[in-house]
Amino acid sequence: MAKVAPILYGDRKVYTVSSFNRGIGSYLGRLPAVWVEGEVTELRRNEAWATVFLTLKDPKTGASLRVTIGRRVFDRLELALEEGETVHVAGRAELYEQKGELGLRASTIERIGLGAHLLALERLKRQLAAEGLFSPARKRPLPRLPRAIGILTGADAAARGDLVATIGARFPAAKVVVCETRVQGKGAPARIASALGALAAHPEVDVLVLARGGGSFEDLLPFSDEVVVRAVSACSVPVVSAVGHEQDTPLCDLAADMRAATPTAAGSLVVPNLSELRAALDGSRRRLVLAVRALLERDTARLMRLGERLQAAPRLLLERRRSALDHTGARLHALSPLATLGRGYAIVRAGAEALRDAAAVTPGDRLEIELASGSVGATVEDVRP
Amino acid sequence: MTDDRSFEDLQRELEDIVTRLERGDVAVDDAIALFRRGEELFKTCVERLQGAELRIEELTAEEPLS
Repeated sequence: MAKVAPILYGDRKVYTVSSFNRGIGSYLGRLPAVWVEGEVTELRRNEAWATVFLTLKDPKTGASLRVTIGRRVFDRLELALEEGETVHVAGRAELYEQKGELGLRASTIERIGLGAHLLALERLKRQLAAEGLFSPARKRPLPRLPRAIGILTGADAAARGDLVATIGARFPAAKVVVCETRVQGKGAPARIASALGALAAHPEVDVLVLARGGGSFEDLLPFSDEVVVRAVSACSVPVVSAVGHEQDTPLCDLAADMRAATPTAAGSLVVPNLSELRAALDGSRRRLVLAVRALLERDTARLMRLGERLQAAPRLLLERRRSALDHTGARLHALSPLATLGRGYAIVRAGAEALRDAAAVTPGDRLEIELASGSVGATVEDVRP
Repeated sequence: MTDDRSFEDLQRELEDIVTRLERGDVAVDDAIALFRRGEELFKTCVERLQGAELRIEELTAEEPLS
Protein backbone atom coordinates (compact mmCIF):
# COMPACT_ATOMS: atom_id res chain seq x y z
CA MET A 1 0.00 0.00 0.00
CA ALA A 2 1.35 3.33 -0.99
CA LYS A 3 2.28 5.52 1.89
CA VAL A 4 0.42 8.68 2.67
CA ALA A 5 3.28 11.05 2.45
CA PRO A 6 3.17 14.74 1.56
CA ILE A 7 5.30 16.33 -1.08
CA LEU A 8 7.22 19.21 0.29
CA TYR A 9 7.13 22.56 -1.54
CA GLY A 10 9.49 24.49 0.69
CA ASP A 11 7.74 24.34 4.07
CA ARG A 12 4.36 23.50 2.53
CA LYS A 13 3.12 19.90 2.86
CA VAL A 14 1.08 18.93 -0.16
CA TYR A 15 -0.83 15.66 -0.61
CA THR A 16 -1.79 14.08 -3.87
CA VAL A 17 -5.53 13.40 -4.26
CA SER A 18 -4.88 9.70 -4.03
CA SER A 19 -2.91 9.90 -0.84
CA PHE A 20 -5.43 12.31 0.69
CA ASN A 21 -8.25 9.94 -0.11
CA ARG A 22 -6.27 7.00 1.09
CA GLY A 23 -5.46 8.81 4.33
CA ILE A 24 -9.05 9.73 4.98
CA GLY A 25 -10.10 6.24 3.95
CA SER A 26 -7.83 4.57 6.46
CA TYR A 27 -8.99 7.03 9.09
CA LEU A 28 -12.64 6.21 8.36
CA GLY A 29 -11.81 2.53 8.40
CA ARG A 30 -10.95 2.77 12.05
CA LEU A 31 -14.45 3.96 12.96
CA PRO A 32 -16.66 1.36 14.62
CA ALA A 33 -19.28 -0.58 12.70
CA VAL A 34 -22.76 1.02 12.86
CA TRP A 35 -26.37 0.39 11.83
CA VAL A 36 -27.85 2.92 9.43
CA GLU A 37 -31.53 3.19 8.60
CA GLY A 38 -32.80 4.49 5.29
CA GLU A 39 -34.90 3.89 2.22
CA VAL A 40 -33.49 1.82 -0.59
CA THR A 41 -33.03 3.63 -3.91
CA GLU A 42 -30.92 2.96 -6.99
CA LEU A 43 -30.39 -0.68 -6.25
CA ARG A 44 -27.97 -2.12 -8.81
CA ARG A 45 -27.09 -5.76 -8.88
CA ASN A 46 -25.34 -7.41 -11.75
CA GLU A 47 -24.22 -11.01 -12.06
CA ALA A 48 -20.93 -9.78 -13.52
CA TRP A 49 -20.13 -7.57 -10.54
CA ALA A 50 -18.69 -8.69 -7.27
CA THR A 51 -20.44 -5.84 -5.50
CA VAL A 52 -24.05 -4.73 -5.25
CA PHE A 53 -24.63 -0.99 -5.14
CA LEU A 54 -27.52 0.88 -3.63
CA THR A 55 -28.24 4.25 -2.19
CA LEU A 56 -29.85 4.78 1.18
CA LYS A 57 -32.00 7.82 1.49
CA ASP A 58 -33.20 9.58 4.57
CA PRO A 59 -36.93 10.01 3.86
CA LYS A 60 -37.15 13.15 5.99
CA THR A 61 -34.24 15.20 4.67
CA GLY A 62 -33.43 13.51 1.40
CA ALA A 63 -29.84 13.00 2.52
CA SER A 64 -28.28 10.04 0.79
CA LEU A 65 -25.54 7.52 1.39
CA ARG A 66 -23.83 5.18 -1.03
CA VAL A 67 -23.87 1.57 0.16
CA THR A 68 -21.91 -1.35 -1.21
CA ILE A 69 -22.24 -4.98 -0.23
CA GLY A 70 -20.62 -8.11 -1.56
CA ARG A 71 -22.89 -9.74 -4.13
CA ARG A 72 -22.66 -13.16 -2.52
CA VAL A 73 -23.43 -11.74 0.91
CA PHE A 74 -26.35 -9.86 -0.58
CA ASP A 75 -27.72 -12.93 -2.39
CA ARG A 76 -27.51 -15.07 0.70
CA LEU A 77 -29.81 -12.63 2.51
CA GLU A 78 -32.56 -13.43 -0.01
CA LEU A 79 -34.23 -10.11 0.68
CA ALA A 80 -35.83 -9.49 -2.70
CA LEU A 81 -35.56 -5.82 -1.85
CA GLU A 82 -37.75 -3.33 -3.61
CA GLU A 83 -36.91 0.32 -4.09
CA GLY A 84 -38.51 2.46 -1.41
CA GLU A 85 -38.32 -0.16 1.31
CA THR A 86 -36.89 0.87 4.62
CA VAL A 87 -33.91 -1.17 5.76
CA HIS A 88 -31.31 -1.34 8.47
CA VAL A 89 -27.78 -1.66 7.12
CA ALA A 90 -24.88 -2.76 9.30
CA GLY A 91 -21.45 -1.69 8.11
CA ARG A 92 -18.40 0.50 8.31
CA ALA A 93 -17.73 3.84 6.72
CA GLU A 94 -15.53 3.61 3.67
CA LEU A 95 -14.20 5.97 1.14
CA TYR A 96 -14.31 5.22 -2.54
CA GLU A 97 -10.83 6.41 -3.14
CA GLN A 98 -11.08 6.89 -6.85
CA LYS A 99 -13.85 9.44 -6.45
CA GLY A 100 -13.40 10.51 -2.87
CA GLU A 101 -16.96 9.47 -2.15
CA LEU A 102 -18.06 8.49 1.30
CA GLY A 103 -19.93 5.25 1.52
CA LEU A 104 -20.99 2.42 3.79
CA ARG A 105 -19.52 -1.04 3.30
CA ALA A 106 -22.37 -3.25 4.43
CA SER A 107 -21.97 -6.59 6.18
CA THR A 108 -25.70 -7.21 6.31
CA ILE A 109 -29.06 -5.66 5.47
CA GLU A 110 -32.36 -6.20 7.27
CA ARG A 111 -35.79 -5.19 6.26
CA ILE A 112 -36.71 -2.92 9.10
CA GLY A 113 -40.43 -3.50 9.26
CA LEU A 114 -40.11 -7.23 9.61
CA GLY A 115 -37.08 -7.23 11.86
CA ALA A 116 -38.56 -4.83 14.36
CA HIS A 117 -41.95 -6.56 14.33
CA LEU A 118 -40.43 -9.98 14.69
CA LEU A 119 -38.37 -8.84 17.63
CA ALA A 120 -41.31 -7.20 19.35
CA LEU A 121 -43.38 -10.30 18.63
CA GLU A 122 -40.78 -12.61 20.10
CA ARG A 123 -40.56 -10.44 23.20
CA LEU A 124 -44.34 -10.36 23.62
CA LYS A 125 -44.54 -14.10 23.07
CA ARG A 126 -41.98 -14.76 25.79
CA GLN A 127 -43.72 -12.39 28.17
CA LEU A 128 -47.18 -13.87 27.64
CA ALA A 129 -45.81 -17.39 27.82
CA ALA A 130 -44.19 -16.51 31.15
CA GLU A 131 -47.58 -15.30 32.35
CA GLY A 132 -48.96 -18.70 31.45
CA LEU A 133 -51.34 -17.48 28.75
CA PHE A 134 -50.32 -20.27 26.38
CA SER A 135 -50.30 -23.00 29.01
CA PRO A 136 -52.01 -26.23 27.96
CA ALA A 137 -53.68 -26.28 31.37
CA ARG A 138 -55.68 -23.20 30.35
CA LYS A 139 -57.15 -24.84 27.27
CA ARG A 140 -60.84 -25.48 27.65
CA PRO A 141 -62.65 -28.29 25.85
CA LEU A 142 -65.02 -27.16 23.12
CA PRO A 143 -68.73 -27.76 23.75
CA ARG A 144 -70.02 -30.83 21.95
CA LEU A 145 -72.95 -28.93 20.61
CA PRO A 146 -72.92 -25.19 21.06
CA ARG A 147 -76.28 -23.43 21.10
CA ALA A 148 -74.73 -20.83 18.80
CA ILE A 149 -71.31 -20.43 17.24
CA GLY A 150 -69.80 -16.97 17.25
CA ILE A 151 -67.80 -16.12 14.16
CA LEU A 152 -65.45 -13.19 14.06
CA THR A 153 -64.27 -12.35 10.59
CA GLY A 154 -63.01 -9.51 8.48
CA ALA A 155 -64.71 -8.62 5.23
CA ASP A 156 -63.27 -11.96 4.17
CA ALA A 157 -65.98 -13.65 2.17
CA ALA A 158 -63.99 -16.82 1.53
CA ALA A 159 -63.13 -17.59 5.15
CA ARG A 160 -66.64 -16.82 6.30
CA GLY A 161 -68.20 -18.82 3.47
CA ASP A 162 -66.03 -21.89 4.11
CA LEU A 163 -66.78 -21.83 7.79
CA VAL A 164 -70.53 -21.38 7.48
CA ALA A 165 -70.76 -24.00 4.74
CA THR A 166 -68.89 -26.58 6.81
CA ILE A 167 -71.04 -25.94 9.87
CA GLY A 168 -74.24 -26.14 7.83
CA ALA A 169 -73.19 -29.38 6.16
CA ARG A 170 -72.22 -31.14 9.37
CA PHE A 171 -74.99 -29.85 11.52
CA PRO A 172 -77.93 -28.18 9.78
CA ALA A 173 -79.66 -27.21 13.02
CA ALA A 174 -76.76 -25.02 14.09
CA LYS A 175 -76.98 -21.32 14.69
CA VAL A 176 -74.14 -18.95 13.91
CA VAL A 177 -73.69 -15.39 15.05
CA VAL A 178 -71.38 -13.50 12.73
CA CYS A 179 -69.55 -10.35 13.64
CA GLU A 180 -67.62 -8.66 10.88
CA THR A 181 -64.99 -6.17 11.77
CA ARG A 182 -61.84 -4.64 10.34
CA VAL A 183 -59.05 -7.09 11.01
CA GLN A 184 -56.27 -5.23 9.26
CA GLY A 185 -54.46 -2.00 9.74
CA LYS A 186 -54.42 0.48 12.56
CA GLY A 187 -57.13 0.10 15.16
CA ALA A 188 -57.78 -3.50 14.11
CA PRO A 189 -56.61 -5.03 17.42
CA ALA A 190 -59.03 -2.92 19.45
CA ARG A 191 -61.84 -3.73 17.01
CA ILE A 192 -61.10 -7.44 17.12
CA ALA A 193 -61.00 -7.43 20.93
CA SER A 194 -64.27 -5.52 21.08
CA ALA A 195 -65.95 -7.88 18.62
CA LEU A 196 -64.71 -10.86 20.65
CA GLY A 197 -66.32 -9.38 23.72
CA ALA A 198 -69.59 -8.67 21.92
CA LEU A 199 -69.79 -12.23 20.57
CA ALA A 200 -68.92 -13.83 23.89
CA ALA A 201 -71.61 -11.72 25.56
CA HIS A 202 -74.27 -13.05 23.19
CA PRO A 203 -76.53 -15.23 25.35
CA GLU A 204 -76.42 -18.26 23.06
CA VAL A 205 -72.83 -18.21 21.88
CA ASP A 206 -71.00 -21.16 23.46
CA VAL A 207 -67.90 -21.14 21.28
CA LEU A 208 -66.08 -18.61 19.13
CA VAL A 209 -64.16 -18.90 15.89
CA LEU A 210 -61.64 -16.33 14.76
CA ALA A 211 -61.64 -16.73 11.00
CA ARG A 212 -59.12 -14.97 8.84
CA GLY A 213 -57.75 -16.32 5.60
CA GLY A 214 -54.12 -16.11 4.65
CA GLY A 215 -52.35 -12.80 4.31
CA SER A 216 -48.94 -11.23 4.48
CA PHE A 217 -47.03 -11.16 7.71
CA GLU A 218 -48.07 -7.56 8.27
CA ASP A 219 -51.71 -8.33 7.47
CA LEU A 220 -51.82 -10.92 10.21
CA LEU A 221 -50.02 -8.79 12.78
CA PRO A 222 -53.21 -7.62 14.55
CA PHE A 223 -53.81 -11.26 15.53
CA SER A 224 -50.52 -11.18 17.38
CA ASP A 225 -51.30 -7.91 19.10
CA GLU A 226 -51.21 -8.06 22.86
CA VAL A 227 -54.75 -6.65 23.13
CA VAL A 228 -56.13 -9.42 20.91
CA VAL A 229 -54.09 -12.19 22.50
CA ARG A 230 -55.23 -11.16 25.97
CA ALA A 231 -58.83 -10.86 24.80
CA VAL A 232 -58.69 -14.40 23.37
CA SER A 233 -57.16 -15.75 26.53
CA ALA A 234 -59.70 -14.00 28.77
CA CYS A 235 -62.70 -14.80 26.57
CA SER A 236 -65.58 -16.26 28.56
CA VAL A 237 -66.23 -19.01 25.99
CA PRO A 238 -63.71 -21.29 24.29
CA VAL A 239 -62.04 -19.83 21.21
CA VAL A 240 -60.93 -21.61 18.06
CA SER A 241 -58.30 -19.71 16.12
CA ALA A 242 -58.36 -20.16 12.35
CA VAL A 243 -56.06 -17.38 11.31
CA GLY A 244 -53.77 -17.43 8.30
CA HIS A 245 -52.30 -20.57 6.84
CA GLU A 246 -50.68 -23.57 8.40
CA GLN A 247 -47.21 -21.99 8.49
CA ASP A 248 -48.36 -18.79 10.19
CA THR A 249 -48.52 -18.86 13.93
CA PRO A 250 -50.01 -15.62 15.13
CA LEU A 251 -49.94 -15.37 18.91
CA CYS A 252 -53.73 -15.62 19.12
CA ASP A 253 -53.28 -19.21 17.90
CA LEU A 254 -51.25 -19.97 21.00
CA ALA A 255 -53.73 -18.34 23.35
CA ALA A 256 -56.79 -19.92 21.74
CA ASP A 257 -58.28 -23.07 23.23
CA MET A 258 -57.86 -24.81 19.93
CA ARG A 259 -56.18 -24.04 16.65
CA ALA A 260 -57.54 -24.88 13.23
CA ALA A 261 -55.40 -24.83 10.12
CA THR A 262 -58.25 -23.54 7.96
CA PRO A 263 -61.76 -22.15 8.42
CA THR A 264 -63.09 -25.48 7.13
CA ALA A 265 -61.18 -27.35 9.81
CA ALA A 266 -62.53 -24.90 12.39
CA GLY A 267 -66.05 -25.66 11.18
CA SER A 268 -65.65 -29.36 11.87
CA LEU A 269 -64.23 -28.62 15.31
CA VAL A 270 -67.12 -26.52 16.55
CA VAL A 271 -70.05 -28.71 15.57
CA PRO A 272 -70.30 -32.45 15.83
CA ASN A 273 -71.27 -34.63 12.97
CA LEU A 274 -75.05 -34.97 13.08
CA SER A 275 -75.12 -38.69 12.33
CA GLU A 276 -72.47 -39.46 14.96
CA LEU A 277 -74.42 -37.49 17.52
CA ARG A 278 -77.66 -39.23 16.61
CA ALA A 279 -75.94 -42.61 16.91
CA ALA A 280 -74.65 -41.67 20.36
CA LEU A 281 -78.14 -40.65 21.46
CA ASP A 282 -79.70 -43.84 20.14
CA GLY A 283 -77.03 -45.77 22.00
CA SER A 284 -77.90 -43.98 25.23
CA ARG A 285 -81.56 -44.75 24.77
CA ARG A 286 -80.90 -48.43 24.06
CA ARG A 287 -78.88 -48.66 27.23
CA LEU A 288 -81.62 -46.81 29.12
CA VAL A 289 -84.24 -49.33 28.09
CA LEU A 290 -81.98 -52.33 28.72
CA ALA A 291 -80.94 -51.02 32.11
CA VAL A 292 -84.44 -50.37 33.33
CA ARG A 293 -85.59 -53.76 32.03
CA ALA A 294 -82.74 -55.54 33.78
CA LEU A 295 -83.57 -53.65 36.93
CA LEU A 296 -87.24 -54.61 36.77
CA GLU A 297 -86.42 -58.22 36.04
CA ARG A 298 -84.06 -58.33 38.94
CA ASP A 299 -86.65 -56.84 41.24
CA THR A 300 -89.34 -59.22 39.98
CA ALA A 301 -87.11 -62.19 40.67
CA ARG A 302 -86.39 -60.86 44.13
CA LEU A 303 -90.09 -60.42 44.73
CA MET A 304 -90.86 -63.92 43.62
CA ARG A 305 -88.25 -65.38 45.93
CA LEU A 306 -89.80 -63.39 48.77
CA GLY A 307 -93.23 -64.76 47.88
CA GLU A 308 -91.96 -68.30 47.99
CA ARG A 309 -90.43 -67.77 51.36
CA LEU A 310 -93.63 -66.20 52.60
CA GLN A 311 -95.65 -69.22 51.53
CA ALA A 312 -93.23 -71.60 53.10
CA ALA A 313 -93.21 -69.74 56.39
CA PRO A 314 -96.48 -71.05 58.07
CA ARG A 315 -95.63 -74.66 57.40
CA LEU A 316 -92.22 -74.19 58.88
CA LEU A 317 -93.70 -72.48 61.88
CA LEU A 318 -96.18 -75.30 62.43
CA GLU A 319 -93.51 -77.94 62.23
CA ARG A 320 -91.38 -76.09 64.66
CA ARG A 321 -94.32 -75.71 67.09
CA ARG A 322 -95.26 -79.35 66.76
CA SER A 323 -91.84 -80.58 67.63
CA ALA A 324 -91.74 -78.25 70.64
CA LEU A 325 -95.12 -79.60 71.73
CA ASP A 326 -93.99 -83.17 71.40
CA HIS A 327 -91.07 -82.44 73.59
CA THR A 328 -93.21 -80.82 76.28
CA GLY A 329 -95.66 -83.70 76.03
CA ALA A 330 -92.89 -86.19 76.70
CA ARG A 331 -91.76 -84.24 79.71
CA LEU A 332 -95.32 -84.02 80.97
CA HIS A 333 -95.80 -87.67 80.44
CA ALA A 334 -92.75 -88.52 82.49
CA LEU A 335 -94.10 -86.51 85.41
CA SER A 336 -97.64 -87.90 85.32
CA PRO A 337 -98.60 -90.20 88.29
CA LEU A 338 -100.52 -92.24 85.79
CA ALA A 339 -97.19 -93.55 84.52
CA THR A 340 -96.39 -94.75 88.06
CA LEU A 341 -99.75 -96.43 88.32
CA GLY A 342 -98.85 -98.19 85.09
CA ARG A 343 -96.05 -99.93 86.93
CA GLY A 344 -98.59 -101.40 89.47
CA TYR A 345 -98.74 -98.72 92.08
CA ALA A 346 -102.18 -97.44 93.27
CA ILE A 347 -103.45 -94.26 94.86
CA VAL A 348 -105.64 -94.75 97.93
CA ARG A 349 -107.98 -91.93 98.85
CA ALA A 350 -110.08 -91.50 101.96
CA GLY A 351 -112.45 -88.82 100.86
CA ALA A 352 -110.69 -86.24 98.73
CA GLU A 353 -107.24 -86.69 100.32
CA ALA A 354 -104.71 -89.27 99.24
CA LEU A 355 -104.13 -91.60 102.18
CA ARG A 356 -100.53 -91.48 103.46
CA ASP A 357 -100.92 -92.74 107.12
CA ALA A 358 -102.82 -95.84 108.35
CA ALA A 359 -103.72 -93.95 111.55
CA ALA A 360 -105.83 -91.54 109.55
CA VAL A 361 -108.57 -94.14 109.11
CA THR A 362 -110.57 -96.44 111.30
CA PRO A 363 -112.17 -99.72 110.44
CA GLY A 364 -115.35 -99.26 108.51
CA ASP A 365 -114.05 -96.17 106.64
CA ARG A 366 -114.69 -96.07 102.91
CA LEU A 367 -111.64 -96.00 100.64
CA GLU A 368 -111.25 -95.26 96.99
CA ILE A 369 -108.33 -97.06 95.23
CA GLU A 370 -107.26 -95.62 91.90
CA LEU A 371 -105.41 -97.94 89.56
CA ALA A 372 -103.69 -97.35 86.23
CA SER A 373 -106.95 -98.29 84.69
CA GLY A 374 -110.16 -97.76 86.61
CA SER A 375 -110.69 -97.62 90.39
CA VAL A 376 -111.95 -99.84 93.16
CA GLY A 377 -114.16 -98.99 96.18
CA ALA A 378 -113.14 -100.70 99.49
CA THR A 379 -113.85 -100.69 103.24
CA VAL A 380 -111.18 -100.66 106.03
CA GLU A 381 -111.18 -103.99 107.90
CA ASP A 382 -108.51 -103.33 110.47
CA VAL A 383 -105.84 -100.71 111.05
CA ARG A 384 -102.14 -101.44 111.84
CA PRO A 385 -100.47 -98.13 112.37
CA MET B 1 -91.22 -29.29 28.74
CA THR B 2 -88.82 -26.72 27.44
CA ASP B 3 -85.33 -26.88 28.75
CA ASP B 4 -83.02 -24.04 27.83
CA ARG B 5 -79.95 -25.85 29.01
CA SER B 6 -77.37 -26.70 26.39
CA PHE B 7 -77.70 -29.87 24.40
CA GLU B 8 -74.56 -31.04 26.08
CA ASP B 9 -76.08 -30.68 29.55
CA LEU B 10 -79.18 -32.58 28.48
CA GLN B 11 -77.12 -35.34 26.93
CA ARG B 12 -74.95 -35.55 30.02
CA GLU B 13 -78.02 -35.90 32.23
CA LEU B 14 -79.29 -38.67 29.98
CA GLU B 15 -75.99 -40.48 30.23
CA ASP B 16 -75.92 -40.05 34.01
CA ILE B 17 -79.37 -41.60 34.23
CA VAL B 18 -78.31 -44.53 32.07
CA THR B 19 -75.22 -45.05 34.21
CA ARG B 20 -77.24 -44.96 37.43
CA LEU B 21 -79.73 -47.46 36.10
CA GLU B 22 -76.96 -49.68 34.84
CA ARG B 23 -75.28 -49.64 38.22
CA GLY B 24 -78.57 -50.94 39.55
CA ASP B 25 -78.64 -49.51 43.07
CA VAL B 26 -81.97 -47.81 42.45
CA ALA B 27 -85.36 -48.56 43.97
CA VAL B 28 -88.04 -49.65 41.50
CA ASP B 29 -90.12 -46.50 41.89
CA ASP B 30 -87.04 -44.36 41.34
CA ALA B 31 -86.03 -46.49 38.39
CA ILE B 32 -89.36 -45.90 36.68
CA ALA B 33 -89.13 -42.15 37.31
CA LEU B 34 -85.56 -42.09 36.02
CA PHE B 35 -86.55 -44.04 32.95
CA ARG B 36 -89.36 -41.56 32.19
CA ARG B 37 -86.95 -38.67 32.62
CA GLY B 38 -84.44 -40.41 30.37
CA GLU B 39 -87.03 -40.90 27.64
CA GLU B 40 -87.98 -37.26 27.89
CA LEU B 41 -84.37 -36.16 27.62
CA PHE B 42 -83.83 -38.40 24.63
CA LYS B 43 -86.83 -36.87 22.91
CA THR B 44 -85.73 -33.32 23.67
CA CYS B 45 -82.24 -34.05 22.34
CA VAL B 46 -83.55 -35.58 19.14
CA GLU B 47 -85.89 -32.64 18.61
CA ARG B 48 -82.98 -30.27 18.99
CA LEU B 49 -81.03 -32.19 16.39
CA GLN B 50 -83.90 -31.97 13.99
CA GLY B 51 -84.09 -28.22 14.24
CA ALA B 52 -84.64 -26.08 11.21
CA GLU B 53 -82.17 -24.63 8.73
CA LEU B 54 -78.88 -23.11 9.69
CA ARG B 55 -79.68 -19.76 11.25
CA ILE B 56 -77.35 -16.84 10.75
CA GLU B 57 -77.46 -13.76 12.91
CA GLU B 58 -75.35 -10.70 12.21
CA LEU B 59 -73.88 -8.89 15.13
CA THR B 60 -72.33 -5.46 15.05
CA ALA B 61 -69.71 -4.80 17.63
CA GLU B 62 -69.58 -1.35 19.10
CA GLU B 63 -66.77 0.70 17.74
CA PRO B 64 -64.04 0.77 20.37
CA LEU B 65 -63.12 4.17 21.67
CA SER B 66 -59.82 5.19 20.20
